[in-house]
Amino acid sequence: MKRILKKSAELALLVTVFLIVIGPMVSLFLWSVAQKWYWPHPLPQAITFDYWAQALGLKTSLAIGAVSIVSAFTLSILIALATVVIAMAIAIPAGYALAKYKIPFGTIILFLFLLPNAFPQQPVFVNILQVFTKIGLSGTIPGVMLIHILVGLVYGVWITNATFRSIPPSMEEAARSVGATAFKAFYKISLPLAAPGLFSSAVFVFLTSLDEFTGTFFIGLPFINTLPLTLYSSSGYNMQFASVIALILLVPSVIFMLLIQKVLKAEYVGGMG
Amino acid sequence: MTSLQPKMWGERKLPPYVLLLFPAVTFMVLMYAWPFISSVLQSFIISGKEGGLTLANYVKVWELYRKDIAFTFAVTIFNTFLVGVVAVIFSVYFRLRQNRVSALLSAIFKLPIFIPFVVVSQMMNSFLAPHGLLNTALAQLGLVNLDKPLQLFNFAGLSFGFAWKQIPFAVLIIHGGFQMIDNSYIEAARSIGAKLPSVILRVLVPMNKSSIIVALVLVYSQIIGTFTLPYMLIGGKVPTTITVDIAHRVNYFRDFGVANALGVCSYIMVLFTAAYYLRSKIKEARQEVSQ
Repeated sequence: MKRILKKSAELALLVTVFLIVIGPMVSLFLWSVAQKWYWPHPLPQAITFDYWAQALGLKTSLAIGAVSIVSAFTLSILIALATVVIAMAIAIPAGYALAKYKIPFGTIILFLFLLPNAFPQQPVFVNILQVFTKIGLSGTIPGVMLIHILVGLVYGVWITNATFRSIPPSMEEAARSVGATAFKAFYKISLPLAAPGLFSSAVFVFLTSLDEFTGTFFIGLPFINTLPLTLYSSSGYNMQFASVIALILLVPSVIFMLLIQKVLKAEYVGGMG
Repeated sequence: MTSLQPKMWGERKLPPYVLLLFPAVTFMVLMYAWPFISSVLQSFIISGKEGGLTLANYVKVWELYRKDIAFTFAVTIFNTFLVGVVAVIFSVYFRLRQNRVSALLSAIFKLPIFIPFVVVSQMMNSFLAPHGLLNTALAQLGLVNLDKPLQLFNFAGLSFGFAWKQIPFAVLIIHGGFQMIDNSYIEAARSIGAKLPSVILRVLVPMNKSSIIVALVLVYSQIIGTFTLPYMLIGGKVPTTITVDIAHRVNYFRDFGVANALGVCSYIMVLFTAAYYLRSKIKEARQEVSQ
């Protein structure tokens, strides 16, 4: 009897947690296909995939008030790709240096890369906006990219640093002892061994850029409309359209994060978007 | 590590790490350290006016936003506490019960962690609305009268959103810590007659104190700094959070002085957690180097 009680309590817990976690996601999905949804109906009265079709540029109809997101989507992807290339090009050498060398003032450098995680970043964006306005970078794609690089670089340095740390120094030393140069030892030994970690780091930087909202809000608006900002500006007047964009952002984040999560430290994954 | 480097490098040549670190450090100094320092300095200057340092921005913050500062603090403290308690309970459950139900639950729990805040905000926007899915579902169960639906674009809804996103995140960190504790400790406590609550409170939680604190520190500072969720859920309604006020100050008034003073208030709120975080991370890094 006691066992049955315990089992059913556990099942009730499972169902409750399941509903609470899944509820908001279901709401998002229902809204993305709702043609008519007047309360107090618990479910939409009429279903349509027109918002999806329209958002993806497959259909043009002025009746439902949605616009194509293809341009915002392309812009977001391009910014994210450029951000990954630049941020990783800067992060990999830094992560490597911090892992392999004893560096004077190393603590101060560590500090610099830790601060953005310890303090709210919004005031920093506000001050960057002031400077960018003076030098003509606010409301431009390079300006937004610099912000995304800033957000991604910190994670990039930490993840690549942890990756290089996990490779025993004896492997490079062995290569050096048979005559390889420092660069060759890095290129032939450490780099291939670190590849999975570096790849995960790049994917993570890509996702932080794709999902970045706060910095882009200050630096990019009103001229640069990335996908998260298009989501924001449509959420006030077109619930369906905003839900479609939200789902388009949600899917890659969840899939890629599930793939790379094992390589990442738990604390990195919390601060996205 | 360095044993292979010396001698080859003459006195005048720069050590290799200088070149490797230069781009990243320069970028961080220009794009992070300087704006950070500037945000503190600017909070003592009235924007657009010549003149010395002044506390006028802080006076304005006190006059206009003291309720919002209290609101931000209340939301943060309440949610850190809520997240801490619930996350510890679930982590203990996942540690002690390993069956299909708990495996399924922990898989579901992973989802919110990976969903970006802007998407969470949109979800909560539709889910918690007066006639949103939550209210209509509760009405079906007879728990809510739809003529008077739950109003959730306030403290309660904001807390639901934060808890929804942060409890799974905290579980990820805390459960990781619990997994490091060997079964033998739990069995030893049980064999001398310890009941479940005392196993939890006197063995598991004390042994896992550090990861619980890390989780809470991160949750606390993230909630204070989050702009998206309060902005999309509460917006300009009163009371709202500091982050929303900063955006209003900048977007509507171009008043960087008061915006920065508000920013400094948020720095002060995270001072202790930031100090703890920085100290523990630097200690961790030093230990790794000396190994």
